[in-house]
Amino acid sequence: MTTQTESPGNSIAAELLDGFREIVGDEGLLHNADELLVYECDGYIVEKKSPDVVVFPTTTEQVVAIVRLCNKFDVPFVPRGAGTSLSGGCLPVGGGVMITLTRMRQILEINLRDRYAVVEPGLVNVHLTQRLKDTSYHYAPDPSSQGACTIGGNVATNSGGPHTLKYGVTVNHVLGIEAVLPDGSVVELGGPAGAVGGYDLTGLFVGSEGTFGICTKVIVRLTRDPAAYRTLLGVFETVADATQAISGIIGAGIIPAALELMDQGIVGAIEEAYKFGFPLDAGAVLLMEVDGLEVAVDEEAERMVKICNEHGAREVRRATSEAERQLLWKCRKQAFGAVGRLSPSYCTQDGVVPRTRLPEILEFITATGQEHGIRIVNVFHAGDGNIHPILLFDERDQEQIDRVMKASDAILSKCLELGGSVTGEHGIGVEKIGFMDKMFTAEDLDVMADIRLVFNPDSRCSPAKMLPTAGACGMEHIERDHPGKQAAS
Amino acid sequence: MHQTSNEFAPASQGELQRFVQENNSGERLAIYPVGGRTSLNFGRAATRPGSLVSLAKLTQTVDYPVRDMTITVEAGIRMDELAALLREQGQQLPIDVAQSNRATLGGVVATNASGPRRYGLGTMRDYVIGLTAIDAAGRMFHSGGRVVKNVAGYDLCKLMVGSLGSLAIITQLTLKLKPLPESTVLLWTPFNTFAEIDSALNDLQESSARPVVLDVLNTSAAKHVSAEARQDLPCDGPVLVIGLEGTARETAWQVEKLKDELHRKQPGEIVVTEDEPATRLLQALTEFPTASDAPLTFQAGLLPSKTLQFIEQATSQNIAVQSHAGDGLVIGHLPDMASSVEQVVELLKPLRELACNGRGNLVVLNCDADWAKDLPIMGEPEPGWPLMQQLKKALDPHNILNPGRFVFCEST
Ligand SMILES: Cc1cc2nc3c(=O)[nH]c(=O)nc-3n(C[C@H](O)[C@H](O)[C@H](O)COP(=O)(O)OP(=O)(O)OC[C@H]3O[C@@H](n4cnc5c(N)ncnc54)[C@H](O)[C@@H]3O)c2cc1C
Repeated sequence: MTTQTESPGNSIAAELLDGFREIVGDEGLLHNADELLVYECDGYIVEKKSPDVVVFPTTTEQVVAIVRLCNKFDVPFVPRGAGTSLSGGCLPVGGGVMITLTRMRQILEINLRDRYAVVEPGLVNVHLTQRLKDTSYHYAPDPSSQGACTIGGNVATNSGGPHTLKYGVTVNHVLGIEAVLPDGSVVELGGPAGAVGGYDLTGLFVGSEGTFGICTKVIVRLTRDPAAYRTLLGVFETVADATQAISGIIGAGIIPAALELMDQGIVGAIEEAYKFGFPLDAGAVLLMEVDGLEVAVDEEAERMVKICNEHGAREVRRATSEAERQLLWKCRKQAFGAVGRLSPSYCTQDGVVPRTRLPEILEFITATGQEHGIRIVNVFHAGDGNIHPILLFDERDQEQIDRVMKASDAILSKCLELGGSVTGEHGIGVEKIGFMDKMFTAEDLDVMADIRLVFNPDSRCSPAKMLPTAGACGMEHIERDHPGKQAAS
Repeated sequence: MHQTSNEFAPASQGELQRFVQENNSGERLAIYPVGGRTSLNFGRAATRPGSLVSLAKLTQTVDYPVRDMTITVEAGIRMDELAALLREQGQQLPIDVAQSNRATLGGVVATNASGPRRYGLGTMRDYVIGLTAIDAAGRMFHSGGRVVKNVAGYDLCKLMVGSLGSLAIITQLTLKLKPLPESTVLLWTPFNTFAEIDSALNDLQESSARPVVLDVLNTSAAKHVSAEARQDLPCDGPVLVIGLEGTARETAWQVEKLKDELHRKQPGEIVVTEDEPATRLLQALTEFPTASDAPLTFQAGLLPSKTLQFIEQATSQNIAVQSHAGDGLVIGHLPDMASSVEQVVELLKPLRELACNGRGNLVVLNCDADWAKDLPIMGEPEPGWPLMQQLKKALDPHNILNPGRFVFCEST
């Protein structure tokens, strides 16, 4: 894209840089072109753009000062956590300032009696899990990226994870937020006792993808650990059998703790990486977990085994030890890491269908891959109907990128046709902006834009994200109808 | 409601939209949306004449894909009708609502009503996955969708839950559902002191059981609930009620565990109710907030660990108190002796302080309209109020929807 030719760092006033230096010191600042390269994209690699400068605040006060300065100099700014977003949420459209929260990573308070913890936004999700180990409590949302992603990023994208099928996604576990609004003011929403009167601004803020301001503190709910687990691996000849089994399980009124599908393509890659002993000739495997009381889990597991068998499972294996269970989950959660063995680049899509329509959408994905000559593998949160087709390609080949975009488009459109959504957890970001007017009416978008204006009146915070209408000044050159076209050159 | 209000009950969402649009381009009279009219005393009395808009005719089931465990219905459906519809399929919306034979789904969402099972099963914000609403200008907007996981667009469902009809009129909702449990059991056990209950609640944090209800009643509330449930339950001291749901095997196992754990704390009587009596008791607990002609009913929310201290204070002031103690929510009915607004202010003062010190707040759910204007009905101002006022302006710039009733969204 055109902006790529500008040398980053030069387009920003020296005075502004000095201002940042005063706030965060030299060690909290990056502005050389080569250092900025890391920040030119997040987990969504199809579009790239370097920020002009990256700042690393360590306190809320510093965030306030940075935001005020951005306002004073009229430059856009975008918050970033670990940069694992798969929808280009961190892309600094139009350049400007990237505010990276990873140095605000403390756990400020843990209160087990009142079941909450207060954390800074840059805290890595799994670090909270680790800290809570042996307390018999945990923080429930467990995105597969939890070893890297931050709680602030989770709040901004309303992340899910394998276990959010039963326990609910991020928003169901956030009690309160401290945020620096785009005008530099600090506001506390909700609190450890929840909100008693007035609108649920915490709920509104969660999932706002960095467009309502910068989250600087999160009060999360803690959940008791289940007393017992049973972890099963259903092996199926075909993806169709596995999706029918999922439909059967949900339809029978069983809500397992997790229900994840991996197809043959991804299983091959995982097996090569982790040597678990997955059957390489199976069409799909289902990773199923039930949790609850010791007296209950066997019965529920049995019901699921029975349903799997009714749908032609070749076998259903059981994890016989905690170590085996952990390994199974490691394989699942690091599945994306293994994709590197299949292809130099990949693009993960994130559609949702009503859970009983899974068989249809998976058939469609296979057909679409064939039609566009793109290899697609699947690993996803099946119990929620949340698909993650992974489209494999080589990013050096523009023609392949075009085919990936077309195939993605077709799959997401099909999700809508089946009564679903174009994103279950990765967010709209820049990637799926073109779908917003397919999912929502002009009036819906109008109302959403009005609400954004309340928080972000000048669109200086995370411009050109989520809403097709929300352009920032000077952003007119961006092709909003299909941002994928501004792919990296 | 205001004396000069006239009433309108649209037969379709489209008709309602036209009405709101015409109003907005014409006289801009006030609009007071109503459902089952069970909570109209919440907030201040309406000050401007206008129209009562009743959703009573909007009761259609739009889509009920049973095996997906979601349902899309119009907002005027009564809660008991909805429950019956779901029960036929072995499913439920596990929100306990008082007066479910009057309350409508839209009203329950707008007031964010909840009851005892909120401890284990959550509140409306956890179940509304999609909605349609009409703002004051007549814009009909949607949020969410019909699938259980969805992050496309801003989550206006969260904004609308608990918005009290002050931002938009909710016309249609999509809900996530749960299977009906095979068995429901309630344990009722009186203690000698609140301190003992506090300690029992503390221990329950580590219990091998996983209750869905943790309610505490002071003696006067316990007597009331016992009578409403038509059960002769022991009320000689503050009562802890523990609720369980699940398969018969799960609840039976937990009852034994709990009896054992509780007996180590206090050897008092533990009454176990199951099946129909348990349903009736849960019902009585659910009805408590509205089943009173007390001069004033309040709800406080605070940290669970500060709740017993609050209940003890309220009890010393002759207030009948129910608490969803696992969640730090307390509902209280003031005694009849509270007969002037000055007295009420005095009575509430120490309670307000305790609520605020417990990082919470105290709101008045129901009181005499004359008092409401002189009381901080919505509690102490919260840091989010200025944003709320701006949101109100964004969706209702001319202050048409429920004007004058809620201070947090109107800067007066
Ligand atoms: C291998 C892999 C697996 C994944 N698995 C899952 C999964 O199972 N479930 C799931 O939901 N997602 C998953 N994701 C997507 C991603 O990890 C999540 O969206 C995650 O929440 C992003 O966190 P982050 O810290 O990396 O945020 P970033 O990627 O840095 O930012 C994401 C968005 O949040 C905004 N943001 C970040 N921090 C803040 C803040 N403090 N205040 C305001 N806005 C902020 C950014 O501007 C951006 O819009 C996966 C990604 C990868 C690469």
